[in-house]
Amino acid sequence: MTFRSLLVKTAGVLLALTTAAAAQQYPTKPIRLIIPFPPGGSNDVVGRLIATQLSERLGQQIVVDNRSGAGGVVGTELASHAPKDGYTLLVISIAHAVNPWLYDLKGRYDPLKSFTPVAILASGPNVMVVNPGVQAKTVKELIALAKKSPGKVGWASAGVGSFQHLGGALFELQAGVKFLHVPFKGGGPAMIDVVAGHNQVMFSSLVQTTPQIQSGKLRPLGVGGKKRSAILPDVPTIAEAGVPDYEATNWWGIVAPAGVPQAVVDRLRKEIAAVQTAKPVLDAFAREGADIVQMTQPEFAAYMASEMAKWGKVVKASGMKVQ
Amino acid sequence: MNLEFLERKDFWSGAMLIVIGGGAVLIARNYQFGSSLRMGPGYFPTVLGAMLVMFGVYFVIQGLRSGEKLTSSWSLRALIILPLSLVLFGLLIDRAGFIPALLALIISSAAASTQSKPIEVLAFAVFLTAICVIVFVWALGLPYELIAGIW
Amino acid sequence: MDLFNNLIFGFSEALSLQNLLYCFIGVLVGTLIGVLPGIGPLGTIAILLPITYGVPPVAAMIMLAGIYYGAQYGGSTTAILVNLPGETSAVVTCIDGHQMAQQGRAGPALAIAAIGSFFAGTVGTLLIALFGPPLADVALKFGAPEYFSLMLMGLVAAAVLAQGDMVKSIAMVVMGLLLGIIGTDVNSGVQRFSFGFFELTDGIGFIVVAVGVFAIGEIVSNLGEAQERRVLANKVSHLFPTLQDLKKSWGPILRGTGIGCFFGVLPGTGPSIASFSSYMLEKKVAKNPDEFGRGAIQGVAGPEAANNADAQCKFIPMLTLGLPASGVMALMLGALTIQGIQPGPQVMTQKPELFWGLIASMWIGNLLLVVLNLPLIGLWVKLLQVPYRLLFPAIMAFSAIGVFSVNNSAFEIHLTALFGVLGFIWMRLGFPLAPMLLGFVLGPMMEEYLRRAMLMSGGDPSVFITRPISLAFIIATILILVVMVAPSVRKQREAFTD
Repeated sequence: MTFRSLLVKTAGVLLALTTAAAAQQYPTKPIRLIIPFPPGGSNDVVGRLIATQLSERLGQQIVVDNRSGAGGVVGTELASHAPKDGYTLLVISIAHAVNPWLYDLKGRYDPLKSFTPVAILASGPNVMVVNPGVQAKTVKELIALAKKSPGKVGWASAGVGSFQHLGGALFELQAGVKFLHVPFKGGGPAMIDVVAGHNQVMFSSLVQTTPQIQSGKLRPLGVGGKKRSAILPDVPTIAEAGVPDYEATNWWGIVAPAGVPQAVVDRLRKEIAAVQTAKPVLDAFAREGADIVQMTQPEFAAYMASEMAKWGKVVKASGMKVQ
Repeated sequence: MNLEFLERKDFWSGAMLIVIGGGAVLIARNYQFGSSLRMGPGYFPTVLGAMLVMFGVYFVIQGLRSGEKLTSSWSLRALIILPLSLVLFGLLIDRAGFIPALLALIISSAAASTQSKPIEVLAFAVFLTAICVIVFVWALGLPYELIAGIW
Repeated sequence: MDLFNNLIFGFSEALSLQNLLYCFIGVLVGTLIGVLPGIGPLGTIAILLPITYGVPPVAAMIMLAGIYYGAQYGGSTTAILVNLPGETSAVVTCIDGHQMAQQGRAGPALAIAAIGSFFAGTVGTLLIALFGPPLADVALKFGAPEYFSLMLMGLVAAAVLAQGDMVKSIAMVVMGLLLGIIGTDVNSGVQRFSFGFFELTDGIGFIVVAVGVFAIGEIVSNLGEAQERRVLANKVSHLFPTLQDLKKSWGPILRGTGIGCFFGVLPGTGPSIASFSSYMLEKKVAKNPDEFGRGAIQGVAGPEAANNADAQCKFIPMLTLGLPASGVMALMLGALTIQGIQPGPQVMTQKPELFWGLIASMWIGNLLLVVLNLPLIGLWVKLLQVPYRLLFPAIMAFSAIGVFSVNNSAFEIHLTALFGVLGFIWMRLGFPLAPMLLGFVLGPMMEEYLRRAMLMSGGDPSVFITRPISLAFIIATILILVVMVAPSVRKQREAFTD
C-alpha cells in the first residue's frame, strides 16, 4: 500500500516537473486556435488578426481552425475536450455567455468551469440604426414611434439569439417597447433589408455598420457602449439618449481548456498584451470601431460570469429560445 | 399469394417515400404547426412530409399492379465498403492525422473493387497522399495535422 | 466618353505588372480550388486574407476576386470529367457534361464551358461598369414577398428538370425541400430534425449532399456494373467543339448570361439558382428536349454561362452599396476595411483606381482563365485514361478532403457516407437526383421568405399580389403552369376522343 502510494506520488511529482519544464519551453510546436464560427465573421477577423501577430512573437505557427456550428457550441465543445497543454486555444465572444441560455449544454461543457480564461482581447459596441426614411431622428422619438404602434416597427436581427437580437431585446426590455422582430440568416441580409427600407430598425454591430452610416444609407440613433465611439463622435450613447442603463457590447477573448499550466497562461498573457498594443493591431481595431480591453485573469473570469448573468435575464424575459 | 411486387422498383420507391415522409410528419408533431396565415415551424415539414406519403402511396399502388423490376447487378461489397471507408477517414482525421486517415481511406475504398491489385493500390495510395499533402496542406494551407502531433 | 475613359484608366491600372501578377495568381488558385470539391472560395480567401495585408489594396482585391470567379470556372471541370461538382454552382453541369464525357466528348464540353464562361464574364463586367449603381438600387426593391414569388416560379419550373418519370422528379423536389428544412428554423429558432446533433443545427451542407449522392452514390453504382466497365470511353473524337456544337451553344450562352446577370444582381439568391434556372430554360426551349440528360451541349453551355455571370454580378451590391450578397463578399468587404478603405458608394469616386482597376482586372482575369483552361483540356482528357480502379479511390480521397475542409467536421464526413447510400438507393429506384438538389437549395429560402413576408404583412397574404414585382412573378408562374399542363391535357383529350 505505502509503496504504491509512494509510487503514485513520485509519478505525480515527475509529471509535474516535466509539465513545468515543458511549460517553460512553451511553445515547442504549432498551436491550434479554434474559432467556433465560419470564416468572415467578427470572431474570425479578430482571431486571425491576433493569430498572425501572436505567432510572430511566440516563434511558432498558430493554426486557425474554424469549427462552426450551433452558434459556436460545436467548436467550444471540441476545445473543452482538447489536451490541457496550451496547444489548443479557443476564441470566444459574447455568444459564449449567451449559449448556455439558448442551448442545452448538459453533459457537454460548462462555459465557466470547463475553461481557463487567458485574456480578453477587445470589445465593440452595437449601434442602433434606422432606415433614413424613418421619421424618428433620436432614440426618444423612436421609442415614441414604437409606443404609438406596438409590434409594428420592423426590427431586423441576424437570427434568434444573435448579438443583434440580444441588443434589440435588451432595448425592448429597458425602453418598454415592442418591435416586430424579423430574424434573418446573418447580419448581412438583415442590413440589406434595413437599407432597402423593408424593415426600419436594427441593432447592428458597429464594426459592420460604419460604411453604411458614413454613406448615409443608415441613420445612427445611438451606440450601445458605455461611452461614445471614436469613429462616431457625434452619435450619443443609447444610455445618454434616453435608456439610462442600456449597454450592449460584444467582446472577444481567448480561453484554454481548464487545467492548463499557469506558466503557459502567463507566457500567453505576456505576449498577447504586447500584441494588443502593437501598431497594426491597434490600427485595425480602431478602424473597425473596436477598443482594446485588458483585464487580469480573475477580472476576465468575473466579467464572463457577469455577462452570463446579464444576458441570461434578457434571454428569459424575451422568451428567445433555440431548442 | 403473389409476392412478385417485392421485386418491383415502384413498390420500393413508394415504401421509401412513405417511411421518410411519414417519419417527417411524426417528428414535426413536436413543432408548433401554426396556421396558413401564421405558419409555425411545424407547418412546412408536415405539409412536405404528407406530400411524400401521398407520392409514396401512389407508387405502392403502381408497384402492386405492374412495373419495372429491380435489376440484379449491383455490388453489396461496394455499398458497404465505400461508406465505411469514409467513416474510417472521419474517425481517423482528428485522432491520427491527415496522412493516416487518407491512406486508410484510399486503401480501404480500393477494396470495394474486385479488380484492385494490392501492390498497385499501395503504391497509388502513397503517391496520391503525397500529392494531397502538397496541394491541400502546403499549397492551400488547410489546418490539418499531418500525423497526430506533427503539423 | 466618360465610361470609355474610366475603362481605359481601369485597364492601365490592371495591366501594371504587379496587378497582372496578382490577377494571375488569383485565377490560378481559384481554378485549383474550383476543381477540388468542397474547398471553396470562402475558406481559401479567409486563409489568404492575412497575406494580403502587406499588398496594396488594388492588388489584394484583384487577387481575391480572381480566386472567387476562378473557382466558378474550375468547378465545371470535375463536374464534367468525373461527375463530381467542384462548386455548388456546377451541379447542373454534371447532368449533361458528364454524359458528354462518357461519350468521349469531354473536350468539347470543357471548351464550351470555358467559352460560355468567358462570354458571360465579359458581359457581367460590362454590366457592372455601365449600370452598377442603378441595378443595385433595383435589387433593393426585392423584399421577402418578391423573393418568395421568384422562388415559387423556380420551383414550378423545376418540373421541367424531370428526366423520365415526371412524378418521381416532383417527389424528389419535395424530398429536397424537406431535407433543406433540417436545422434551426430562422423564424422561430426551433431546431428541426436535428436528432440531438448540434452539428445539424445549421442544416446539412450543400457539398455534403451533392458529393454524397453524386460522387459516392455514383461510384457504388459503377462498381456494381457487371464488368466494372471503364466508365469513361477511350475514344476521344476531338478536343474542340465542332461548328455544329457552336451553333447549338450560342443561344444558350446568351440566355444563360442574361439569367446569370439577373440572379447575380439580387443579393438574396444563392449561386446554384442561376445555373439551375438556365438549365430548365434550355430544356424547355430546345427542339429535342429528349437530348437533355444524354449529353446535350446546350445543358453545359447555358448553365456555365449563367453561373459565371452570376458570380461577376454579385460584385454589384458589394462595390456600389457596400452590402455583402454572400459570405465571400462579406470577406471582401472585410479585406477592404482592413486595407483602410471604407466600402460603399463613395469607393467609386474616392478610389477610382480601385473600382475601375478591379473591374478591368475581372475581364483580364476571365481572359487569363480561357488561356489557362483551353490548353489544359488535352491534359484533363488524358486524365480520363486512368483505369477506373485507380480513379475511384482518388475521387473518394478528394471528396473526403473537400467535404472535411468546409467545416473541418468529421460529422459531415459521416453524413456524406449516409448520403452516398441514399444516393445509390435513389438511383436504383429510378429517382433523378438533380431535382432533389434544386429542392434542397430552394426549400429553406422559400420557407424563410414566405414566413418572413407573412410576418411583416401581419398575416395578410395579399402582399404577394399587391406588390408589382411579386405580382409579375406570380403571373409568370401561372403562365408556366398553363404551358406545362396544356399539352398533357390536350393529349388526354385526344386519347379520349380516339
